[in-house]
Amino acid sequence: MGRALQSTFWRGVGFLVVLELMLVPAVLYFPEFQKHTSSLKAMAPIPVLRNVIDSLEAGGVFAYVTGQHFFKGCNTLGTAAAVLFACGAVAGEVHRGTFEIFLARPLSRRRILTERWLEGAAAVTLPVFLTTLTIPWLCAQVGHEVGYGPLLLCAVQQCAVLLAVYSVTFFFSTLARAPMGIAFAMLFFTVFQFAVYLVERLTHFSLFRLTDVERFMYIQRELGFELWALAPPLAVAFAGYLASLSTFARRTP
Amino acid sequence: MPSMGDGRIRARGLCRTFGAKVALEPCDLDVEPGRVTGLLGPNGSGKSTLMRMLVGLVRPDAGSATIDGVELSGDGTAVRRRCTYAPGEIGLYGELRGEEHLDWFLRGREREARTRARELATAFELPLRRPVHTYSHGMKRQLMFAAALAPRVAVRILDEPSEGLDPQKRSTMIQLLERDVAQGTTVLLSSHHLGEVDRVCSTFLFLSGGKKISTERADDVARRARRLVRATFGPEVRVDELARGLRTAKGSARGSMLVAELASDDPRPFLAELASLPGIGAPLSLDYGQTSLADLYRGLYGVEEAC
Repeated sequence: MGRALQSTFWRGVGFLVVLELMLVPAVLYFPEFQKHTSSLKAMAPIPVLRNVIDSLEAGGVFAYVTGQHFFKGCNTLGTAAAVLFACGAVAGEVHRGTFEIFLARPLSRRRILTERWLEGAAAVTLPVFLTTLTIPWLCAQVGHEVGYGPLLLCAVQQCAVLLAVYSVTFFFSTLARAPMGIAFAMLFFTVFQFAVYLVERLTHFSLFRLTDVERFMYIQRELGFELWALAPPLAVAFAGYLASLSTFARRTP
Repeated sequence: MPSMGDGRIRARGLCRTFGAKVALEPCDLDVEPGRVTGLLGPNGSGKSTLMRMLVGLVRPDAGSATIDGVELSGDGTAVRRRCTYAPGEIGLYGELRGEEHLDWFLRGREREARTRARELATAFELPLRRPVHTYSHGMKRQLMFAAALAPRVAVRILDEPSEGLDPQKRSTMIQLLERDVAQGTTVLLSSHHLGEVDRVCSTFLFLSGGKKISTERADDVARRARRLVRATFGPEVRVDELARGLRTAKGSARGSMLVAELASDDPRPFLAELASLPGIGAPLSLDYGQTSLADLYRGLYGVEEAC
């Protein structure tokens, strides 16, 4: 296994473990949640959160697990992972002074960059799918049944958004020299997006509208995607990759 | 060495600017196959930029280049397949062990290159099982040199490969390089050590301020050196007057040193004249036919590099 692949593999494993550690207690808590939904709703300080709890109550176990796993776990930890895995892709090589030997081998820049993009993308998305596959079994432990199909479709929607964040960060990494600067800027952006989501008037402008319970309930209901929700993040992810190729081709040691 | 191309390095009008700074003015280059060509000049003279352009790491603003018959185009992958390049800047992955780093360097090369690289690293007594972050600067340099020398290619471009090496390791490096060149490899070598350049290079290219200022063949320099005598005198001798009065050579004074350019390769008439001059004692030191590259360097740049 190559140096970068090995490093990415262990990062991916770390992400998977933490994601699963967040998921297990959340699912096992579902019976308690059902009992105390009205109390939780009363405690919700802002209307948007009350709406979220309403959605969870109306959608049953599927809404609850997708809310816990995707909306809460993947949107927070996942976006952080996407940013952290991508920020050092090229800027990290420049920062540590290895950029020249990184390019000096007889490998094309397109290949070098594509391999790196794919490795990071796999480390971000595979843990999402793998942890999603454990949800039906976890739900069975608390006496509920959830099918694999709708959950995997939800995972696709979630990964599209995570890939968009990953790819934009990756693009900045091909431009900049300081990975930590990119990480701080992108993490600030994602936190800001969460803040926007929580403001009732602005919530529709948030990135996380693409991965909230409402979207996942649509996917379960229709067993398909809303084009407006899936296509833009995928387009951004692809555009980010193409833009990265373009800037990386001109980057000098 | 596989004979895939002509083993030459050829450039026409290669140039590059970084913002307002001209890193390299249009530069022509012809490096003959099967020889070592030295690229000389002070820091910032454009040596590394030229080398990086030749291997496709820096895109030239204009001009063209071919290496071993392959034209430099795109990101230079085709060129890098025909040559090896050891960068001047050392930045390695400290977490990798030496042998893992060699494998990483040699990705995209023939499998046997990894075995040869290990053999070369062993010749340098490198601890290949230790992580690279425990290596000294010189050891890292040797690791890069081993990786650059291992693949079977016609051309090697080495940017200050001996920088930071002790004299013994530098000597080992030069021996390995000489053995490689004896098999027909072409080497473009940049170095600040004039002694090693003098020993291995057949041609010298001098750069200054991003401009190629001179090309000299080692044979010509040696011929000129055979016509150069330097004599250092004590303070009682007026060297400037002595230089003006010489009949058998054209003299010039450099402090207490008399530099005499002879009319022929035979120094005896000059030495006879020196011995016959009244009131001139024996010189404190006398050099003949030596350190010619250092002289040439001093003449071009006004300063002296390490010998």
